[in-house]
Amino acid sequence: MPSARPLRLVAAPHLHGGSAVPQWMLHTVIALLPVTLLAVVLFGLAALATIVVAVLACLLAERACAPRSRLDDGSAMLTGLLLGLSLPPALPLWMVAVGAFIAIGVGKHLFGGLGGPVFHPALVGRVFLQAAFPTAMAQAWVAPLASGRVSELPATSLALPLLSPAAPYEAMSGATPLTALKAGEGSAALADLWLGLVAGSVGETSAVLLLLGGLYLAFKRVIDWRIPTALLGTVAVLSAILHGLDAERHPGMLTALASGGLMLGAWFFATDPGLSPMTRRGAWIYGLAIGALVVLMRQFSGHAEGVVYALLLGSALTPHIDRWTRPRPLPEGVER
Amino acid sequence: MIGQRPAFPGGIKLAMPPRVDADTVVRQMPFAPLLRLPLKQHAGAAPVAVVRAGDEVLRGQLLARAEADTAVPLHAPASGRVLGIGKQSDGAGGTVGVIELAPLPGDTQEPTRGRAFDPDRDDADELLAAIRETGIVGLGGQGEPTHLRLARARQRGTRFLVINGIEGEPGFARVPALLARHGADVLIGARCLGKVLGLRQPVLALEEPDAAAARAMLAESSDRTLPILEVLPPRYPQGAAELLLRTLAGRGIEGCPAFSADQAVVFSLATVAEIGRLLRHGLTMTDQLITLAGDGLREAGNYRVPLGTPVGFALAQAGALAELDRVLVGGPMRGRALGSLDRPMVKGATGFVALAGNQQARLPEAMACIRCGDCVAACPLQLHPAEMGLLARRGEVQAMVDHWHLERCFECGCCAYVCPSHIPLVQMFASAKGQWRRAQASAAEGAA
Ligand code: SF4
Ligand code: SF4
Repeated sequence: MPSARPLRLVAAPHLHGGSAVPQWMLHTVIALLPVTLLAVVLFGLAALATIVVAVLACLLAERACAPRSRLDDGSAMLTGLLLGLSLPPALPLWMVAVGAFIAIGVGKHLFGGLGGPVFHPALVGRVFLQAAFPTAMAQAWVAPLASGRVSELPATSLALPLLSPAAPYEAMSGATPLTALKAGEGSAALADLWLGLVAGSVGETSAVLLLLGGLYLAFKRVIDWRIPTALLGTVAVLSAILHGLDAERHPGMLTALASGGLMLGAWFFATDPGLSPMTRRGAWIYGLAIGALVVLMRQFSGHAEGVVYALLLGSALTPHIDRWTRPRPLPEGVER
Repeated sequence: MIGQRPAFPGGIKLAMPPRVDADTVVRQMPFAPLLRLPLKQHAGAAPVAVVRAGDEVLRGQLLARAEADTAVPLHAPASGRVLGIGKQSDGAGGTVGVIELAPLPGDTQEPTRGRAFDPDRDDADELLAAIRETGIVGLGGQGEPTHLRLARARQRGTRFLVINGIEGEPGFARVPALLARHGADVLIGARCLGKVLGLRQPVLALEEPDAAAARAMLAESSDRTLPILEVLPPRYPQGAAELLLRTLAGRGIEGCPAFSADQAVVFSLATVAEIGRLLRHGLTMTDQLITLAGDGLREAGNYRVPLGTPVGFALAQAGALAELDRVLVGGPMRGRALGSLDRPMVKGATGFVALAGNQQARLPEAMACIRCGDCVAACPLQLHPAEMGLLARRGEVQAMVDHWHLERCFECGCCAYVCPSHIPLVQMFASAKGQWRRAQASAAEGAA
């Protein structure tokens, strides 16, 4: 009779489809690589330092908050990368680190760790920085392709904690395309906007690369394509309508789609599995709601970077959407 | 009709090994030195033994008589001597009788034959009684006595007789073997069932990989009432009878638009083939065609295995490796792991899987639920595995039943198959169901 050792009593199923959370995180990081590289090319050392500090601080915070948690699931690294990508490049690095600790400590572990968060941890970090250091967050931009960007860090990056920056923020201040538009200074050339040759947060600039990364994730089934589709579709339609009504005040559809972190938000933040609804119907509603909120925030609230708040509000809606779109069990009672 | 929306949501696409010629081969399993035959091998009541220790019996001779309406008789799988009637746990706290039979070595093992039946000549009631007398039960995995399902369907009145030729489990290959070797049996079995139900033309449902074999089988026959072929794109678990009926009812059958699922009755291809084989030769059920699969077997494939053969003996005949990691009754998706290889094969088994330890990578440890919703999308019944999983971790079994219909989960495994956090959802649901049933039972006792 076969089997010399005891048979293992494992429960069915004895097969698995192979999807795994760490792999999803890895694919997401891969999808973000092109735009990360572009950021380093455009903004030089400042961008690189921001990303590295954000990632390292997130890993450190993860260890500190949950000593026994697995760093190799990739989630803390991804949070750090997303945070780094959503910050202005010349932000003092100590602020980046603070943001990372808030992201992991408050945004993630206060809500119970992996799977628990109600808001995206990286966004929590970013919103905290926005509230705590409004000046720095509004001004620490770097002009793309500035000379000397690969040889030295901007003085602001190295500012010491709680002291005002050693040097004033550069002349670029406040001049991301959307803030410029709000101030009535006209729009950056559309092509530059899509390709990312404009000032902006580290990784929010190149809509094309973000779009490609997002499509990769959708293709790999890491994210639900319905969410960005509904979200971007809504933004496109609404901004086209607004532009048609008043071309002076409202940017055109293509400008609205390419600017202000919308692509990053739509493909990488809104699609976080834990923060988006569980059902397919729910995904459509959720994308639609965030899209509408983005347009609303941008046009009527006076806040140029409405995406962040739209995303936060959207994830607050998720439990409700889940409740509205509960799956209905198949009716009972078919006799075999 | 490929690409139509199925009538149930969810389900998964399993990677099924492609069909090969070897799938049509069926090897005869020799007799084990000792066959153990539990009296209760199926749903319903157990038959009553009519033999005693020391009796000599012939292959196919009655061992236990069906007295209750829900019982089927049990016949000797081999000519031999009854060693005794022992007891064995029934897995639910009670015991069942087990007839122990030692096959005679060197016997030709020619089965005893009774009267042969012919669906064209014999009438419906005779056929129904004859089906019961063969001792057959559903061979698709449920083990319900076939005559009961037939009688119910007859009473209810059905319009469609559906033959379920969907393999279901990856690595199993009973369907190609039945189509290639038992075509005539299938057609005669279908006519017998049709006659009992008063239906002329059955429907044969199968998945694309087996469509060509089915067409070849039909082309060989000059039968006047060949089954209508319904070919479905592969999807797990559409072979589950209830889901298959929904799918067929929703899309309609050739020559008939959508109908209500209640108007059809399903029998598995294996059952139909066996009924045809037994009735037309006047035989009783003494063995069954099963698949022995898995990387722990050197000679995996289809075997005709005598009832009562110990699982370990069957696996050894199929070239089991010395070191096995686990052995499953049933396929890799729904199979139950066996603790002991002494267990005999009973009626209704579809196959066994032996997995070698070295190749079977363990699943990574379960992580927290990240609320991705993939399990919800995969559940064919549209239950909510994620919510049930969270409740199960907190031990809130009643809430699982009250809010999320735990009791309807049929443990198909789709949810656990897709979960990126490797949460053992099915295992949690199975044990929660057990808890809930025990609570129900003790509540009922308390009330009585
Ligand atoms: S095992 Fe149960 S809960 Fe999971 S998919 Fe199947 S029926 Fe749904
Ligand atoms: S598939 Fe797993 S991780 Fe995703 S919601 Fe279901 S239980 Fe949670």
